[in-house]
Amino acid sequence: MVFLPDESRSLPPPPLVNKGSVWLGLTGWIAALLDNGFNHRPIIRAGVHRQILFTTVGWFVGYYLAKRTEYVHAKVDRELFEYVRQHPEDFKAAEKKRIGELLEDFHPIR
Amino acid sequence: MAAALRAARGLRLAAGPPSLAFTRSAFVAKRRNHDQPNWFGVGLAFSTSAALWALLFKQHNEDVMEYERRKEERQHKCTGCS
Repeated sequence: MVFLPDESRSLPPPPLVNKGSVWLGLTGWIAALLDNGFNHRPIIRAGVHRQILFTTVGWFVGYYLAKRTEYVHAKVDRELFEYVRQHPEDFKAAEKKRIGELLEDFHPIR
Repeated sequence: MAAALRAARGLRLAAGPPSLAFTRSAFVAKRRNHDQPNWFGVGLAFSTSAALWALLFKQHNEDVMEYERRKEERQHKCTGCS
């Protein structure tokens, strides 16, 4: 299975700052901080080059994952709308009822 | 028996670096010294990060160009050349 088929390029690409990138970048940074912690180094002040590298790798992977996510969602939507278009009898809009038909007759008791 | 054990312990305590008589290991462990930064590692990490960011920016720009190009193509196909 191809990770990103050619037709995925017809979709608008995700922005550079997207949910996948931010989240995975954050996990990369936390991983670097954890590595500092496990090796008895100062948590945020040590290994800045490592923090930057891990965050970058997460951001990079997140971008491609976001692209694949958008493609999969778009494909499912396309198939759904195609099915709805080919079976209109199953998706008739409900007829609007007039308020007079909904209410019971009014018999005043005087 | 006890005398032989005491002699062996004495020999082991007196020995400095591993001698061929007792060990034949190929591996020697060095105590790591963290006084100097690992400049090679630091340079590698920074250059890899820079390369990845450059690659990401390039890929994103290519994606945007390709999307715009395909949009134009679709417009041309659907509306004909208007």
